[in-house]
Amino acid sequence: MLKFSRNYGFKAVKRDFQLLPEFKLKCGLEIHTQLNTRHKLFSYSTNDAFASANLPNHHASFFDVSLPGTQPKLNLEAILYATRLGLALKSNINLNSQFDRKHYFYGDQPLGFQITQHFSPFARGGSVELTKVLNGIDQEQIQIDITQLQIEQDTGKSVYKDSEKVSLIDLNRSNVPLIEMVTEPCFSDLKQIRSFIKKYQNLVRHLGISTGDLETGAMRVDVNLSVNNHCRVELKNLPNTSSIMNAIKFEYERQVDIIRNGLAKTLLAEPETRGWDGTSTVKLRSKETSIDYRYMPDAELPLVRLSADAVARVKASLPVLPDETIKLLMEKPYRLSLKDAKILTLNASGHGQQYTQKELLDFYLQAFNSALENNGEKANQRLLTNWIIHELLGDLNRLGLPLREAIAVVPPTKFAELVTLIQEEKISNASGKLLLFHILEQTRDGSLTQPADLHGIIEKFDLGARSVVDDEELLKVCSEILSSVTDPMMLSGITSGKRKNSLKYLVGQGMRLSQGRVKAKLFEDTFKKLLNANW
Amino acid sequence: MSLKNALTRLKQIPAVQQQFNVFTSLNQAAEEQLKGGNLDKQNSDAPLQNLLCAIKDNIVTKDLPTTCASKMLVNYMSPYNATVVELLAVAGAVNVGKTNLDEFGMGSGGTKSHFGPTKNPLFPGKDVIAGGSSSGSAAAVAADVADFALGTDTGGSVRLPASYTSVLGFKPSYGRISRHGVIAYAQSFDTVGILSKNIGVIDKVFKVLDKSDSKDPTCLDEDSRAKLRSVVPQQRKNKLRIGIPREFTPEGVHSSSVKRFLAVVERLIAKGHEFYPVSLPDIKHSLPIYYTLAPAEAASNLARYDGIRYGFRNDTKDSIDNVLFAPTRENLGSEVKTRVVLGNYNLCSEFVDNHYIKAQKLRVEMIDEFDSIFALPNVLTGSNGAKNGVDILLSLAAISEPTTLNAYETGDSRSPINSYVNDIFTTPMSLAGLPSISVPAGELDKPIGVQITGQYGDDQTVINAVKELL
Repeated sequence: MLKFSRNYGFKAVKRDFQLLPEFKLKCGLEIHTQLNTRHKLFSYSTNDAFASANLPNHHASFFDVSLPGTQPKLNLEAILYATRLGLALKSNINLNSQFDRKHYFYGDQPLGFQITQHFSPFARGGSVELTKVLNGIDQEQIQIDITQLQIEQDTGKSVYKDSEKVSLIDLNRSNVPLIEMVTEPCFSDLKQIRSFIKKYQNLVRHLGISTGDLETGAMRVDVNLSVNNHCRVELKNLPNTSSIMNAIKFEYERQVDIIRNGLAKTLLAEPETRGWDGTSTVKLRSKETSIDYRYMPDAELPLVRLSADAVARVKASLPVLPDETIKLLMEKPYRLSLKDAKILTLNASGHGQQYTQKELLDFYLQAFNSALENNGEKANQRLLTNWIIHELLGDLNRLGLPLREAIAVVPPTKFAELVTLIQEEKISNASGKLLLFHILEQTRDGSLTQPADLHGIIEKFDLGARSVVDDEELLKVCSEILSSVTDPMMLSGITSGKRKNSLKYLVGQGMRLSQGRVKAKLFEDTFKKLLNANW
Repeated sequence: MSLKNALTRLKQIPAVQQQFNVFTSLNQAAEEQLKGGNLDKQNSDAPLQNLLCAIKDNIVTKDLPTTCASKMLVNYMSPYNATVVELLAVAGAVNVGKTNLDEFGMGSGGTKSHFGPTKNPLFPGKDVIAGGSSSGSAAAVAADVADFALGTDTGGSVRLPASYTSVLGFKPSYGRISRHGVIAYAQSFDTVGILSKNIGVIDKVFKVLDKSDSKDPTCLDEDSRAKLRSVVPQQRKNKLRIGIPREFTPEGVHSSSVKRFLAVVERLIAKGHEFYPVSLPDIKHSLPIYYTLAPAEAASNLARYDGIRYGFRNDTKDSIDNVLFAPTRENLGSEVKTRVVLGNYNLCSEFVDNHYIKAQKLRVEMIDEFDSIFALPNVLTGSNGAKNGVDILLSLAAISEPTTLNAYETGDSRSPINSYVNDIFTTPMSLAGLPSISVPAGELDKPIGVQITGQYGDDQTVINAVKELL
């Protein structure tokens, strides 16, 4: 056979990667997260870093442009958000943190310095737990220690137009609040890193402080990496999870090579910063070329003083954290699978959902309790879960209807009632789907605003299951379907049992003709009888 | 003040400008605004009606350029007014123009301006320095073309030129007047000050400007102001306890200046006030502390002048040898460059816990020392006030009378330290944020000021004390 391979001009990274026991990987992460506060960190400009495409430099106040005579004005919402994150990470909140200036020149850094927290950061310590069960790491459980959290300004954005030899500067992102979170070098393999990033993303979304998206740059991950305790290398410019993973793989192998060749003393003697160009890591700067940031306490921003009481109140207002909720849902009486528990607990992304995680979870719990009340032990939890996760969420997405609005018409108790009707075969599965969609569609269009009368609608559209089916009529319908089949091979295949799946096609036809009111099993039995299929 | 008088003086401005180089730009609409203000009935009780003012050109104005006397900001038009500019306009004062200064406020002579030095109106035709950095503001008042002028005082920039031009130069407590729109040199010191020949005018203008401002994070908020009001004396004291710091007797002060100073002391004793020697040993560190902190803040604050968003920009290149913005920033003046380099040096990480942070600690110690001699509590530090402490301090405001431009520039070119020494009496008060005023005590051909300083927030006692002295 002829083989044909394409060459795209770069080395495929598909090679099997594996960590070698004699070359120990050690990593720490530095994650920058944009806070989704209403205003920027030190001005009243709207915090919308992504308006840039259409409106560059639109959300830029006099301060953001660093006009002479302007002064920073601390946005307390950012302090609140940072407190939430610090508490969720079990960090010690610094009751007297301060802002400092970090100096370097760049076109998208209008002040000539970044306001950050160097000498006395916002929070120190804390930890995140990763487990095999919840996070899919190889070890049973590990703890990732947090070094510190600091609040700082984002820079503007440079758009390089190489052909015109200019760069364009957009200051919409300038002065957007960021939290830099630094971990200790606790990671020893890639799965741990991937799981941590996922978990941290989920956490900031759950706390409602950031979209947590890597793709948009709302979250940016830098990796500190060393092999066998040689000098650490910092990896930057990693726009998504796959580049983070590939950069670590590449850099690990590069350093293993260096060590194997006995060059570690020269090539891994000093810390350096490397970027990721899509295929390999490239040196950005080393110690000699590094910038002295000339840190200085900001002379006009006051100390950030927090009272222990205020911190305690923020703590009391924190939502239950995802891990605890997942554990709860996997235990009695819910006994959900990990996958379902995660769907009910974690945001898939920070936006574009028709519900907040809390709304969905509350809906589920209330519907569950209502089902339990009505049916006791007989309540079918799996059916209820499936209907919420698949039917309800699917319909909401299709209709673009927020859960909050749907609840007015289908409150959790009503939903539990619907599922009970299906469980008790008062209506068929298919009719149930039609019914739910119909109600939600009417809700979206505004023709339904009160809790729906399920029985009324079932009656009106004659959706009730046929508990007594006229055998003759059934035979008649089935015969008609069979006579319309043009492929005799199919029928003989069913009879012999070679084409069992084709039976499903026939049942489907029957369901369609009966509008789902006749149970599939009845059709199946009738067809088999007619075709003499004895399997 | 009458409208007629104001209009007469407006007409003198061109001649004064030509002779002394007082202004960087003039308000051509001043006459119209004066007349308009008088027609407006609602304005008739405005506290500063018919008063002419001049505004230092590092305070932003919408109607006139704001240059900081720097090539970097030539023709720069601010899209907003500083809070103080707004407050003055509402109070009825008419701005005659923006005044010359040492570039970005850095200098003691008033000589280091992109627009050339300001000359001292007390010495027509003799090319004597007016002192800086608020040189034009002091000169405008000295030449009688403004009833008062706003300056900024970072280490003495209002009090020193006041001493050299024989006018009153008041630096209030740090934080009482908004700095919003005041272009930062070293903002932990920068204070808007008021110059005038009339203490009543200073008192009135201060009351207009002494307001909280949410746009300035360092401006005292209403809570702090209420706290201040609860500790400062409500009644004017008949008998003041006046301290003279032992350390303020540096060698090299001219005997004629010392004589003037003693004459003031005698006059105050005759009025029944009491004098006490006090000791502030840390004062000898004030110049090194000041010249460590202020340039570091300046280096940071001036980092924004890269030419990208506003101001001067080199029209061909943005970098030399990969050093970003060097082609533009090399157009800063030499004194500014000296201080930016000095400031960056002191912020370098190779000095463990860099010099800036060490100097800040010393600054705190010095404030404690001041607290230990004043009778009044300090609401900022929480000190309770010293038993048997003093109400005010008295010293000279300058170590000498003003020299000629030539002599100043020669000394300065030998070593900038020669110029920095001029600030020796004024920097301690700036480090501690204390209210302080220079009061003329010499004669018009031998100008010298004495400096009255009060505890933090006790601005009114300082202003009242001046009335005892005049």
